Amino acid sequence: MTRRTPLAVVTALALGAGLASAGCSADSGPELKVSGAFMPQPVGDMAAGFLTVENDGDGADRLTSVTSTIADDVTIHETKNQKMQEVTSFDIPAGGELDLERGGNHIMFMTLKRRPKQGDTVSIELHFEKSDPIKVELPVRETTHNPQKH
Amino acid sequence: MQNPKSDGEPRRSRRTPLIAALAVTAAFAVAAGVAVTQNDGATGSPVGQVSAEPKTKAATVLTQPYTKPDLVLTDTSGKKYDLREETRGRPTLIYFGYTHCPDVCPLTMSNLAVAKKQLPKADQEKLQVVFVTTDPERDTPAELGKWLPSAGDPSFVGLSGDFPTIQAGARQIGIGIDAPKKEKDGTVVSMHGAQVVAFSPKTDQGYVIYGEDTTADEWAADLPKLINGEKP
Repeated sequence: MTRRTPLAVVTALALGAGLASAGCSADSGPELKVSGAFMPQPVGDMAAGFLTVENDGDGADRLTSVTSTIADDVTIHETKNQKMQEVTSFDIPAGGELDLERGGNHIMFMTLKRRPKQGDTVSIELHFEKSDPIKVELPVRETTHNPQKH
Repeated sequence: MQNPKSDGEPRRSRRTPLIAALAVTAAFAVAAGVAVTQNDGATGSPVGQVSAEPKTKAATVLTQPYTKPDLVLTDTSGKKYDLREETRGRPTLIYFGYTHCPDVCPLTMSNLAVAKKQLPKADQEKLQVVFVTTDPERDTPAELGKWLPSAGDPSFVGLSGDFPTIQAGARQIGIGIDAPKKEKDGTVVSMHGAQVVAFSPKTDQGYVIYGEDTTADEWAADLPKLINGEKP
């Protein structure tokens, strides 16, 4: 019995590793880096946030939620055919990136506790399926800011 | 480990999320298919009317311009607003959107506001920017009156009314919008139009369309021409 325990643990670990690699064919897993984050100065009591999550690792991950001190109600949305729809997660493919950009997918902040102005920063935390959470400071830019078009 | 039962357990628990994921994917596919069909049905006409313009230009000049829709709605002061009467002979830009829109609607309005401020005073006074809500239940005249000056410019006209009237008006100028839909969790999914339509002061016809990604600089370049009813 006592001799068996380590074997069972090893088997369990091996099985666990097998599962993980079957899911994302990864050895080192996702390696995430956030860039280009900003929030256009909001015009009402809601705001949108935009950023890019690059995944240099060889395992896929997902953005599953966002939290912030500026609002309790923060969700992630996709835009399709001029409609926004809340989603439960966004894929971040291995060796690829997740682009949250104007006119497309975005972070949505509802019922803002304060109205941030251009020049302020807004703190958020990104939560992922696999990777540790990442804290990001969103600089508040002008309402018309759209880096894709420059 | 040799127990077949314990061997089967993890596999089943692993399969469940996969099935759930497939079901979600299928649901999305169906939803997307419906949305596309509806959108095509409503906005299909402009495609055939668009003349060949370089794709880099923000403007698309229509070879068959639209007649200005016969829309009578309510403005932000609560007064009746007859679109044809109020904008006759004036350069007019019309956009359909909603205020619970964190991104594209305020972006479109503020791009227009930034561009408008660059015009000579006289031209600023001529230009009419009309924002028609696609979510009249939430966007009352008072709500629009609060939102438009900060999203755009205090001079912009905000219109509300009953949804079928708004939808019919939008359809006349090739803009397909669906009624806001309440989800099970209480959130409302609204929809904005894909284009801004520019009406000529000379003909009162909608003769140029602009995509939602038109920048303030592109607007600033084209507005002087639109104000004179010229092709950008």
